Formats: sequence, C-alpha cells, structure tokens
Amino acid sequence: MSRLELKSVSKAFGTTLPADRLSLAVEPGEIVAVFGPSGSGKTVLLRMIAGMFEPDEGEILIGGRSMVGAPPERRGIGMAFQNFALFPHMSARQNIASGLRGKAAEVAARVQAISRLLKIEHVLGHMPRELSNGQKQRTALARALIGSPDVLLLDDPLRNVDAKLRYEMRLELPNLLRRGSSSVLYVTQDYREAMAIADRIAVLIDGHLEQVAPPEDIYARPASVAVARLFGDPSINLVEVTPLAEHGALSAAISGARVHLGPAGAEPPTAACWLGVRPEDLMISLSAADDAVPARILAVTPIHEKAVLLLRLADGTEWLAALPPDAPYTASDASVFVRFTPEAALLFDRASGRRIELSHRRQAA
Amino acid sequence: MEHSSLAGRIFRGIALALVLVFFMFPIVWIFLMSFQTNEQILRIPPRLVFEPTLGNYAALISGQLRTTAGNLEISFVHNLWNSFALSSAAVVLALLLGVPAAYAFARFKFKLGETIAFTLLSFRFAPPLLVLLPLSLYYQDIGLNDTYFGIVWVYQLIALPLILWIVRGYFEDISPDIEHAYRLAGHSWREAFTRIAVPLAGPGIAAAGLLSFIFCWNNFVFALILASADKQPVTVGALAFVTASGIQYGQIAAAIVLSVTPTLLLALYAQRYLVEGLSLGAVKG
Amino acid sequence: MAMGILELRSVDKVYASRSKTPVHAVRSLDMEIGKGEIVALLGSSGCGKTSTLRMIAGFESVTAGSITLQGRRIHELPPARRKVAMAFEGYSLYPPLTVRENIAFALKSRQLSRAEMSRRVDTIAHLVEIEDILDSYPRSISGGQQQRVSLARALVRDADLYLLDEPMGQLEPQLRAVLRGRIKSLLAEREMTAIFVTHDQTEASALADRIAVMEDGVLQQFASEKELKDRPANLFVASFIGEPPMNLLEADVSRTDGGFRLSVGRDVALQIEGDALDAVARKTLETAPSLRIGIRPQKIAVGSGEARVRVASNQWLGDQSHIAGELCGHLVIAVTPGRVAARPGELVPFAIEPRHIHIFAADGTCIHHAEAAAR
Repeated sequence: MSRLELKSVSKAFGTTLPADRLSLAVEPGEIVAVFGPSGSGKTVLLRMIAGMFEPDEGEILIGGRSMVGAPPERRGIGMAFQNFALFPHMSARQNIASGLRGKAAEVAARVQAISRLLKIEHVLGHMPRELSNGQKQRTALARALIGSPDVLLLDDPLRNVDAKLRYEMRLELPNLLRRGSSSVLYVTQDYREAMAIADRIAVLIDGHLEQVAPPEDIYARPASVAVARLFGDPSINLVEVTPLAEHGALSAAISGARVHLGPAGAEPPTAACWLGVRPEDLMISLSAADDAVPARILAVTPIHEKAVLLLRLADGTEWLAALPPDAPYTASDASVFVRFTPEAALLFDRASGRRIELSHRRQAA
Repeated sequence: MEHSSLAGRIFRGIALALVLVFFMFPIVWIFLMSFQTNEQILRIPPRLVFEPTLGNYAALISGQLRTTAGNLEISFVHNLWNSFALSSAAVVLALLLGVPAAYAFARFKFKLGETIAFTLLSFRFAPPLLVLLPLSLYYQDIGLNDTYFGIVWVYQLIALPLILWIVRGYFEDISPDIEHAYRLAGHSWREAFTRIAVPLAGPGIAAAGLLSFIFCWNNFVFALILASADKQPVTVGALAFVTASGIQYGQIAAAIVLSVTPTLLLALYAQRYLVEGLSLGAVKG
Repeated sequence: MAMGILELRSVDKVYASRSKTPVHAVRSLDMEIGKGEIVALLGSSGCGKTSTLRMIAGFESVTAGSITLQGRRIHELPPARRKVAMAFEGYSLYPPLTVRENIAFALKSRQLSRAEMSRRVDTIAHLVEIEDILDSYPRSISGGQQQRVSLARALVRDADLYLLDEPMGQLEPQLRAVLRGRIKSLLAEREMTAIFVTHDQTEASALADRIAVMEDGVLQQFASEKELKDRPANLFVASFIGEPPMNLLEADVSRTDGGFRLSVGRDVALQIEGDALDAVARKTLETAPSLRIGIRPQKIAVGSGEARVRVASNQWLGDQSHIAGELCGHLVIAVTPGRVAARPGELVPFAIEPRHIHIFAADGTCIHHAEAAAR
C-alpha cells in the first residue's frame, strides 16, 4: 500500500522540455489517466517513474521513499507497454511468470489465477508470435499485474488492438486495475478511454500539467481552452467574443446576433475572450429568435450515434452541432437558427487561455 | 505479371542456367581437377572425360608429395588443423570482446561512441600489408612473432569489427522496451543482457561469428609474415605446391577442395541463421 | 440513383502463388454506384476492401468479372487512362516538390492557365487547412498534414471517380469532424463520385451515403448507415456496425395465442405478434426451440423495465453513459445520453422492449426487425 508522488519533476532533452515541474500524487487503488496530445511528454513521464532515465530536477517517491538513483528492478513497478514488449523467446506462461520468485507450485498457481481473470488460460503455452494482438495485450497486462506492484504504469496499452477489443477492455480494465490496490498511472491519447477508466485525469500539454481533476469536472469545467479542445468528439466550438455587461446581464455578439450569457455578476469579464460551446449543447430550430444565430447547414455527418451538423454562420465561422441521430435536418435545409443556454457557455480569457468562472455557474457548482 | 507466357518461362530458364554455369564453372572445374593427375590437367585440349584418381588426396593426407624432382615433405593436415585452431580461437575471443561492446554501442549513447565504433570499423579499410610491416617489428620485439596467440591477436583486426557492427545492428533491432520490461520484473541489467538481449540477438551473433570465422580462415597475408611453417594455416601452406619441378595443379585443387569444404558448409549453415536473424523483426511486437 | 456510373459485375480477385494456397481476396462482388454518391468500403483488415479499391484504380488485375466506369470497361485499361483520382494510405507525396507543387502536379496534364491552376490549389488548400504550409516540403510537415495534402492532391483533379484509401485516419482529432463536413459538402456540391476504404465505422457513417460492409472477401450488405443499423442483413453486420455493437442474447421460443414469446432468463419475456412476422420468420420461430436476438445499446432504457441487471461498470464519457451489466450470463451494454446513478455491483432495471429487437436464424441471417416491420 503505497502512494506514488511526483514532486516538481523536470526533464529536458536538448531544447525541448518534456517534463516541466510536474507534481502529482496517486493514492493506492486510484487510477489516474495521463492524457494529452502526442508529443506532450506522457511517455517520458512514465519512463522516468520506471527508472529508465532520471529526472533533471525534482523527486519521485514511492511509498514515501525517494527513487532517485534506484534501478528499475528495485522500484516495485509493474508496467504494460504500447507495443506489448513481450519476450519473444518465452511462452506466454514464462512471460507472465518472469517476475515471480519462489516455489514452482506457488508461481504456477498465481499465473493460473491471473490468466483466468484475463481469460488467457488457453494460450499460456503459446509463444508470443502465435498470439493474436488481443491475447498479446492481455498477456502483457497479466505480466504487469501479477506481482501486485506498488505502482502500475500503463503506456497506452489499448493503442494496438482493434476497436471492438478496445471497447471491451475499456469496460473491464477499471475493475482489473483496482484489484491489487496499486497506484495506477494510465497513459492514453483517447479522451474517451481516459474518462471511462480513470478516477482522475491529469491533462499534460507540452510537458506541463494543465489540469488534474475527475473526468466530469474536466469535461464540464476545463481549466483552459487547450483542455476544452482535447475533450469531446466532435470538439468544442470556439469563437472570439468581447462580452458586454449591460443592465446586469452578460451578452456577446456572435455573427451579428446577440447571445445571452447569464447575469453579469459583480466583476463581469469584458476583455477579449474565447467563447466555447460543446456541439451537443447547440440547439437547432427553423424559426428565428432574438438570441438565435442564423446559420446554413453545409453537411450532415452522423458519428457516435449522433447527427453532426457542419454549420456556417453569416460571418463565415464554422460550427459543429451534435443532435440525436433522428434529427430531421439535411444539408439542403438552407437556413436554420442556432441557440444555446447560458449554462452551456464556457468563457476563456483570450490572453491566458484560462477559463473565466461565470457567476451563475459558480452558484451551480 | 502472374501469368507469363510459355516462351517467357523458357527464356527465364535459359537465362538462369547461363548465370549458374558462369558462376559455378570455376568451382566445378577445380573439383574435377582434384581427381586428375598433373599430366591429365595440362593436356591440350582439356577433356571432360578422364580416369579419376584419388592420388592427390592420398598425397595430401600422407604428407608425401611425389614430384619428378623427388619426394617432398608437406604438412597439409597440420596446416588444416592450424587454420581450424587459429580461426576458432580468434572468433571466440572476438565474440567475448565484441558482443558486450556491440551491446554498449547499441544501447548507450555516450560521448565519442560513434567515433570509436567507426574507428574500429576503419581497421577493415586499411590495407593489411601496410599494417603488417610495423606490426611484425613490434611482434619481434615483444616475442609474439611466430606464436599462435600473436596470430589470434592480429586476427582480431578481421573478426572484431565485423562482429561489432553486425551484432550491434541486431541489438538495435530489439525493442528496448523488452529489456525494460524484464528489468521491471525484478532483474538486473546483467540478467537482462544475458537472458533477453543475447538470446534474441542469437541468430545475429551466430551469423557474425560464422562470417568472421570464414574471413579468418581465408586470411593469407597475416600468417605469411607473422608465422613460420608449423604455425601456418592452409592458405599459406598451399605455397608448398609451387615446387622446383613445377606447380602441382592436382594437389592444389585437392587442397582447395579440402580447405574450402568446411567454410562452404559453414556458409550454408550460416545462411539459415542469417535469414532467421533478419526475420527477427516479425517477432518483436 | 438514376444510373450507375460505376458498375462492378461479379468481380473476383485471387492471389495465386506457387508455394502457398491461393488467397481468394474478393468473391463475386456486385456493386453499382450512382453519380455523386459517396461510398465507404468498410471492414477489418484482410476483408478485401483494399483489393477492391486497387482493382478499380488499376493497381491490381481483375481475376474475373468486369468493372465499368461511365460505360467504359476500365478493368482493361491502364491506371492512367481510367480517369480516376486516388489518395493513398501512405500519402505518396513527391519528396522533392513543395506541397503546392505536389497538388499542382495533379493538374499538370490539363491545359490550364497559371492563374486558374493557382486558384484551384488555393481553394482546396483552404478547404483542408494547409494554406500556411503550401511552400513546405513533405518531409518537414506532420503526418496529419501530409494526409491532408494527399487528400487535396486527389480532390483537386477532375476525374470521373475519386478513390480514397483510409483518407482521414491520421488527422488531428480536433480537425477531423470539421474536415469530414467540408469534404462531404464539397463532394455533394460538385457531384463528385467517391469511394473510400476505411476500417473505422465512425468515418464510414460520417462521410458515406452508402456503406459496403465486407468480410472474408464477400460483400455482406450495401446500404445506408441507417439501414445497416435498422435492418442488418446478418449477425456479422449486426455485431460489426454500431458503437458499441448490438447486444446479442440467447432467447427461448414458446408459442402464445397469436404469436410467440421470446424469453431470456426469467426476467425478459418479449411478446411478438404473429401477423408482424413474414412467412420465413414465422416458420423459423415455429421450429427453433431457441435463437439469437439482438438489441442496440441505445435502445435499452435504464432505470425502468423488467430485467434486473447487475452493473459491472458505469462509464460517463461527457455526453453519454455506457452501462455494462450481466443478464443471464450475457454482458449487456446500455447507452444513455444522460448520467445514471448506478455503482458496480448494484442491481439496476433495464428495459428491453419487443419493438426494438432483431431476430436471427441459426445460420446468422436476420429474419425480423421489429421496428422496421412496424413501419
């Protein structure tokens, strides 16, 4: 039972800074997803924790002990790799048992138990090249899980398996990972995977932790524009606005229409902002209203059991709206009107990219 | 492309046959020569039909070379043994030194690493004769001239760069994650080296070892200068067939057949390993 | 679809090799594609979709059958004379040319004025957002950008048919949805006929008017996305299409007056009226003691209904909940747009209604689609 703690960990490779003062604690039994675009430093972070290279600055603690200078084999870490990294000259059974010491019967029993859990009992005698991708991935997971390590590192383990298997594993994984009360760090490039599996998500952008929070918080209250853009498919609609506070109400001009953003509050934001609205929060109608933005439907692209409309506003801005799959709109519906509620609006400061808490949202939260 | 005409297939067959004849001719001719007497060989025009004799082989093995000028002692069998001992010892030494070095060059990026690796390779570029003159002087000074160890040492110039560069490539082809995974399973880097890296590069190591064995076996100049008759390998020993009464073509051919056979067999064996080694990538995932 | 612009008639592709058994990559494929249609060839790797595309493009010979494009028998023509534009999966950009030259290269053979050529390049570059890298060389741009250039190079041409091999797989996720919309709108506006190969059903359903689902070299079903979901032809299509795929359950069949009862365990009993069934379906239900039924995860209501399901996981993805639970030994998944308060281990009611189910015969063919039949 020991937590993983990063204290202001930094690492530079030449001029790039894949880890910039990262601080994070993962409790035993907790799953933290490290999520970010490719090249944001996720893998470097995992490899530093595993001891494949040392941080330039800062400390990594496992169970309160500093891991500076400790070789990988003495850190109590289990790891699953994106490319599986199975030992090609060993059978699945030998792969899984490679980290175990002790009586042969005991080892065999533990291998049996973990492979039953991961449904690979029938392929234990196979060599890695005889396994399907899904079986390879389960074998690699079994190898990482079997020692009940203090810290479990998973480097995008579902990257190389097909969509169907990935979905099944997404359902199974949280229960599997919580079994041994390890502190789990789960690296992924898929925001849905992060949301489905993790207790908290650490959003890593350019070596910097932008936000660490539970999935629902990150989705509903992203810390910055960059975070908001990473979550949601299709991704959030963003438009440049300068909010106007008038008679106690906040509003913004979008493509000629004035849209209400709720009560102004004591200190209304009036600097240049990004206004973000998620596609599923847009409402479409055929009749005009005073806070509705006129738009044209360019295309209807159904994805994820939703009808996604590509809209062009009068000023040329393109927006995406995600509607229920049976929404009656087609690309020939020349002109429609787009609305959203003040609750759906997210405001971000243009200069810093940070989110501005609107007064009505603050009360709701 | 899949459906070629009959004419095309015949043409391809003829072309292949021609190429085969062109490349195989010297080997087949030497093989035939080894079963003929000097007189039969020197007949003009040469004939394909002859009465085969095992005399050349008998002379080589018994060590008695009968020429018109009288009997000559030759130590072909001893030379063959020398070749075998020198080449094997050189390869074993080169593997012991070269495999860990290749691993270091493949896995650790250190200052001057590329430079050192390239310098080692450049030993192969220098003409051996150029190296030999100063070397033989040094060898005389430190008493390594005409010793087995001296020759084995100088053979490292042949074997070590070869092993280093071939094996390094094989190590680089192994995903480092595989070794990381083994270390995280609680093993030291030495164990990761011996149980993961070396077995996985096994085919490459074998191929490199066999190749450098063949190169050592075929070497001529080093032993010619640095060793006397009783330490010489077959390549140098074959000079004995150039006798006062002429060149003993039949015996030379037999000697060639006997000395080439082991390397040829090794090459055929190594070929299998090379192919296996090259397909290692398919298992990596 | 008034007239087929592209017709594939019993096309076969066999890869023969002397040492191995021949591979039958495509089996008697019949397809007819109308002018201006966007068609997706969808399937997992090795299903024959790429072979089909390459046969149309001319990079593979046709073992048997014929391919006609606007009445021309193109399978007998070399690729360059087929009037087909293609975007390759590996991009295949010309390294010594800039992005602009790469795109313009496709227009070289036409006698276009310099101004017209540059106008066309700029229009397509704007569409796929590569204006700022027009003067870069392929090696200096990212994979996603290369893919957009490759798309632009194919779409800028005037061709009778556009072939796109995995056209959007590498695109940046934030751009993907917008680009899909723009390309779909461009294709529709110019009445361009396009076929694209993909293994990603999201992409297929987003872009295509009709989707050809392939497996083992055989065309399983060729229909619109809605049709594939509402009336899957067989078990393969039913379990392949849909995110997540259709739940499949084993049901016992018993007769009631006027119809049949399909029951799964004790909780689920579905009444099917006899007059809703056609002759084949009725016959199958009369003879089979049990058979497979399917229901889409989106059609299961959570929080009401008869079936008690023990929750295995409840995952909120920001815009929908995925709840997985166990029902009589089957893992059943329900997807709802809102959040659901259900922890793993709890018993939660799932509503499985007769009007949402699909019934499959023993050979895998779908014999009854309740909802579609009711319409």
